[in-house]
Amino acid sequence: MQAVYLVKGNRGPQAKSGTILKDVAAPYLGHYLIRDIMDQVDIPVDEVDEVIVGNTGNPAKFPNVGRVIALEAGLDKKTSGYSVHRNCASGMEALSQAYVKIALGRSDVIFAGGVESMSQMPLLFGEKMTEFFIDMMKAKSPADKMKVFSSFRFPYLNPVIAIEQGLTDPFCGLNMGQTAEKLAREFNLTREQQDQFANDSHAKAIKAQAEGKFVDEIVGIIAGKNMDTLVTEDNGPRGDSSMEKLAKLRPYFEKRTGTVTVGNSCPITDGGSMWLLCSEAAVKKYNLEPMARMVDFHFHGLEPERMGLGPVMAMDGVFKRTGMSLEQMDLVEINEAFAAQVLGCLEVMKSKELSERWKVEKLGELDLNKLNVNGGAIALGHPVGSTGSRLVVTLAHELAKQKKQYGVASLCIGGGQGGAVIIENLVR
Amino acid sequence: MSFEKITLELKEGIYYLGFGKNEPKSLTVITEQTLLELDQAFEDISKDKNAKGLVLFSHKPDCFLAGMDVTVIQSLSSEIEATNGCEKGQSVFNKIEDMKIPSIALVDGVCLGGGLEMILACDKIICSDNSKTALGLPEVMLGVLPGFGGTYRLPKKVGLVNSLDYLLTGKQIKAKKAVKLGLVEYIMPKERMLEKAAEYLFKKEESKTLQETLTEKASESFIARGVIFRKARQTVLEKTKGFYPAPLKILDHLENSYGKRRSSYLANEARAFGELSQTSQSKALQHVFFLHDNAKKIENKDEVQSVSHGAVLGGGTMGGGIAWLMANSGQAPILKDINNAGLELGLKQASLVFSKALKRRKISMDQFQRKQRSIKPTLSYNGFKKVDLVVEAVIEKMDIKKAVFTEVEKHVGSDCLLTSNTSSLSIEEMSGALEKPERFAGLHFFNPVNKMPLVEIIKHSKVSDETVDRLYKWVLDVKKVPVVVNDCPGFLVNRILAPFLNEAAYLLEEGVSIESIDSAVLNFGMPMGACRLMDEIGLDVCAHVGEIMETGLGARAKANPLSQAAVEAGLLGKKNKKGFYTYDEKEKSSGVNPDMTKLIQDHGSNDMDETTIQMRLILPMINEAASILDEKIVTNADAVDLGVIFGIGFPPFRGGLLRYADNEGLDRIVGAIKKFASEVNADRYALSSYLQKLVDDKKKFYEA
Repeated sequence: MQAVYLVKGNRGPQAKSGTILKDVAAPYLGHYLIRDIMDQVDIPVDEVDEVIVGNTGNPAKFPNVGRVIALEAGLDKKTSGYSVHRNCASGMEALSQAYVKIALGRSDVIFAGGVESMSQMPLLFGEKMTEFFIDMMKAKSPADKMKVFSSFRFPYLNPVIAIEQGLTDPFCGLNMGQTAEKLAREFNLTREQQDQFANDSHAKAIKAQAEGKFVDEIVGIIAGKNMDTLVTEDNGPRGDSSMEKLAKLRPYFEKRTGTVTVGNSCPITDGGSMWLLCSEAAVKKYNLEPMARMVDFHFHGLEPERMGLGPVMAMDGVFKRTGMSLEQMDLVEINEAFAAQVLGCLEVMKSKELSERWKVEKLGELDLNKLNVNGGAIALGHPVGSTGSRLVVTLAHELAKQKKQYGVASLCIGGGQGGAVIIENLVR
Repeated sequence: MSFEKITLELKEGIYYLGFGKNEPKSLTVITEQTLLELDQAFEDISKDKNAKGLVLFSHKPDCFLAGMDVTVIQSLSSEIEATNGCEKGQSVFNKIEDMKIPSIALVDGVCLGGGLEMILACDKIICSDNSKTALGLPEVMLGVLPGFGGTYRLPKKVGLVNSLDYLLTGKQIKAKKAVKLGLVEYIMPKERMLEKAAEYLFKKEESKTLQETLTEKASESFIARGVIFRKARQTVLEKTKGFYPAPLKILDHLENSYGKRRSSYLANEARAFGELSQTSQSKALQHVFFLHDNAKKIENKDEVQSVSHGAVLGGGTMGGGIAWLMANSGQAPILKDINNAGLELGLKQASLVFSKALKRRKISMDQFQRKQRSIKPTLSYNGFKKVDLVVEAVIEKMDIKKAVFTEVEKHVGSDCLLTSNTSSLSIEEMSGALEKPERFAGLHFFNPVNKMPLVEIIKHSKVSDETVDRLYKWVLDVKKVPVVVNDCPGFLVNRILAPFLNEAAYLLEEGVSIESIDSAVLNFGMPMGACRLMDEIGLDVCAHVGEIMETGLGARAKANPLSQAAVEAGLLGKKNKKGFYTYDEKEKSSGVNPDMTKLIQDHGSNDMDETTIQMRLILPMINEAASILDEKIVTNADAVDLGVIFGIGFPPFRGGLLRYADNEGLDRIVGAIKKFASEVNADRYALSSYLQKLVDDKKKFYEA
């Protein structure tokens, strides 16, 4: 196995869906990130082996968004490109595939990342309407057509909201918010605990913005209907967030008895992120100064209805795989899909009994000062296809700023999985 | 008879007649020799009793036929000669129409003028799906009309109303549109056209739809025709202000000839061509055609290193416009500024131009996305190492520009060309800031970049020939008109424009009204009145340029204080909606600005006659152009006229400023300048010694 270097990583600003980035189609959330990195290195455009892009709301117009991004970025036509889908960890899946290819010596230069335009996820016609269209097309004679036409019923026009369906587990039938409610019930996580966690996330993100922590990682994007404005900041973090305001929100997923609100969940978001990964040979050949080394990764499955605990199993798995431990980690990112879900993870980690239940051996209680130091998805947003690599971008930049060595980025994955990546900072 | 210009091959009873086989140039044109050979070939084919069909095609990719050789038109020295020439061509093309066998033309690439007239005589036309495929009759742009039967056959194919649209404007028709119009039968991939030709040659034509038949019948009616011609004449007069006789002649001819038999129709066409070909306007337009055509020629083009990736410094109106130009040409530019507000200004400018193109369906939404997003807005120099060309468009201050070049030179590769879009600062002085001045030059665009074709390439003492050659090639690549100029205040175009605007201010001071000046200028054929132009440019810019001219050129360029006074009074022109005119929200003019009339020191009203106003404004330009030639700022009169036509819209029907002067007679021009020198102002009308010498030597600008 060869070393895999995270040479340069960047991301676009993340914006709540339906706001400033709503007019940007998925490929354009990613292509300019590659161009920005290519402009900083001396790698010829025809020396890039592959572009791998995580994306879940596959735009009908760009069935393989990875290839479109490769071409729009100005890379050579011979550079192959594809898209990967592992729900919330699609961006991390892209990184892990790049990792395997480089570690095995098959590839030397790969761009991997993720994009998601949740604003542009489509409304679909239901099955009945689709059947109606097919019958209409089949009908030859006017009489047949009339017959089919008379079968039409107005409810056929009710749209299927792709995003809503995508966020509902087909196996257990719960939507993601309901799985968070389940964890809250099982671990006795109160509304106040969750709101406090959310409030802290906003406070950390606002502080990080004020300190310019994201300036190095964010590349401004052309936005607006006429493509004449420049967006350079995340619009999720609320400077005016408070416990009082959070307390006023009604539970969203279980209206009467629930604790999960839109305030203590992550918002639906548009955004993209990108990494240039290289082999040792490529680093030498192009005289590169990598930001970090990708130590390893791990994905792990669990009950779909408790998908929020995925990060625990995934981190445990990657530590087992590498022989490393949580104590070695200077910084930890656990994606904040829901406050309840992160708090649930922390409960499992500190409880021996719970750890045993899920066969978690290598974790233990987490020092909260290491966790999501610049805020998490509750404030910054969660563009599903991108977050897996976005976490690694933010982690690598923060490790570099703090001049610390190791960090782990992890997230829960709809469908009952978790993913984790360990990186080693190389910026001195 | 052996053929040079065409090839003729017989396969299974079908004659394949090809063009452009041994043509070294990228465009094949029809010469007199071509016509002779065609005549012979058609004669032979007509006599062959076993012939089954005729296929016309081109060996050359991207060009079927680019029309009649313009030098042939230019050489026609009398109406009779021109009319006779047309009749010869007509008789050749009639032979296609009169053949008993079916004929088909396979068009890949451009098919213009005489080329289209020829295939209009065929039974069918097939076009390739090549994006370069376009058909058109551009003769009107040369001040003539299609004289080889185009005015007869195009209306027959596409109907009277549609044909007028193309005959009167000369605009080109893309393949898809041509099918819609009924001009072209099918579109095919070009690789398949030849093999499928025989099959489609004999395919029965689909009958016309009811709607098509009705539309045709409608324009046949005598009354409807009257309305059509009246309306068309009105539009032509609005657009050309009557300066151009060709479109009106085309209308007269069609109105007289429509519905007549072929022989008399074509005889009328040939006569109309003959008359138009000898008008001064047509001669002037032909002159402009050659000016432009010659400007497109580069020696050893393939040896000049191309510029394919550019960067713009400064995101203002000009920076954004230049970024638009690069993005539109597929060169994915970097747009760098020192803050996001500057970048957004540039993005807005580019977006505005693309949006307009989108509205007029010149580009699709997808293209808009791709092109606009190919601009990389940035605050850093990342990526500058990979660009071939940097155009600086920051604030017009010498020390800032120098600092910018010292800085940017550290971030670019050794081959990268560095240019300044300054309109008023010395390129020679600026070059001092560079470590490698040989790769530096001025690259002056005009505002708005998308509309103004001219780009001045400004040299300085240390610039290398290679730099100038590469810039010249790049300007052509982005479909602009380059002119190479030596450094001087105002360079070529602004130096000629400045005395025109300055003199307008003096006229105002003498009591001539804003309206009289602007209407005199418009009636001369300029695209815009002098006062309105100053509003467009901005009175602050006018004041600044005036100062630079006076400093650089001395007493003859003494700046009228009006623009400075206007700036002090807060009248900046269109940019703040107050100038010589006032402007509403949508930038529409709402009349003369009373604040400005108050500002002009009124010496009572002066009802100077229009011709005098025109001469007062035009003569200083001619005089200044003479000084420019004297100082060898440009090499010849061609460059001056190219500059004024494509840089300030000097009326093309006059052939350019110096061509106009030559036509008027330089002795008369000199006489008038001398008269103004004694009656108006000795400094401003101080005669250029170069001009005096031309008169003494009995030469013209174009003979010098």
